[in-house]
Amino acid sequence: MFRIFTVCVAIFLSNVAHANQTPITGNVSSKCSIFTDITGVYGNPSPNTLSTDPVDGGVIPVVRYDVSIADYYTAKISWPNSFVTSPALDDALAWDGEVEVLSVSDTNMAGYEAAKIEYDNVTEYDLSVAGSTWFKVTSEVSYGFDKSFPGGEYITNVSADCIAK
Amino acid sequence: MLRTLIVLAVTLLAAKTSFAHEWTPTYPKFEASFVEGIAVTQMNIFNRREDISFYEIDIYDADWNPIPFATRSKIVEVKYLEQKNIEIYIREKDCDDIEYICSRSKILKKDSAQAGINSRICSRLR
Repeated sequence: MFRIFTVCVAIFLSNVAHANQTPITGNVSSKCSIFTDITGVYGNPSPNTLSTDPVDGGVIPVVRYDVSIADYYTAKISWPNSFVTSPALDDALAWDGEVEVLSVSDTNMAGYEAAKIEYDNVTEYDLSVAGSTWFKVTSEVSYGFDKSFPGGEYITNVSADCIAK
Repeated sequence: MLRTLIVLAVTLLAAKTSFAHEWTPTYPKFEASFVEGIAVTQMNIFNRREDISFYEIDIYDADWNPIPFATRSKIVEVKYLEQKNIEIYIREKDCDDIEYICSRSKILKKDSAQAGINSRICSRLR
C-alpha cells in the first residue's frame, strides 16, 4: 500500500516539477572613463625652471582613458599653461609640454601616437579601439630671463577631456 | 621585457591611485517635458574620483559656444562612489543647436595639489 502511495507521489511530482526560464538581460552602452593614474610633481632643477621630467626630480602625470566601445570618443588632453596656485609673479612665464601615449591595452592602438593632432597646448587622439590607453603629460615652465622662482607652492592642472564623436 | 615591466608597474600604481568619473548616456535625446516649449533629458554621473566631490554641467553648440539650460544646480555635489541622475531642461527652440552636454570635475583649491587632473566628459546629441 505504502509503495503504491510512493509511486503516486513520484508521478505527481514529475508533473509539477517543470523548468522555469529565467532571463538575464544586459545593456551594453558606450562609455568613457578618465582615470588619474599618477599625479604629477614638479621638480626644480634650476632656480628658474619647474619640470615634471624625472631627470629634473619631477614625476610625470599619467592619465588613463577607458572606452567600452570602439570609435565613439575623442580624447583631448591639454598640458598646463597657467598656474592654479603660485606666489605673485611679475615676469613672463614660458610654458612647454608634451602629451604622449605611454601604454595601450590593445596592439591595434599602436597607431594612436602617429595619428595624434596637436594645436596650442592641446593634443587630440581618436579613440578608435575599445580598451585602455595610458597617456603621459610632461610639463615644463621657466620664469623670466634666468630669474629665480619666488619660494612657495606652485600648482597646475592637466585637462583631460573625452568628447563623444 | 622592459615594456612588460613598465606596463606592470603602471598597472600596480593604477590599482592604488586610479580615480575616474563617468557621464552617460553617450548620445542623449531630449523629449517634451511637463512645461510647454521646454524639453528635458536625463543624464547620469558616477563619481569614482575620491579627490573630487563637485562637477559642473555645461551645454555647448557645435562651435563650443555655451547654450542656456536649467537644472537643479549647475554645480552638482557627487560624493565618492555616488551615482546621480541629473535632469537637464532646455528651450525646445535650442534643441537643434545643442551638440555637447559636458560634465567637468571641479577641484577645490585645498585639494588642487592632490588632484592635478581636471577631467571633462562630453556626451553628444545626434
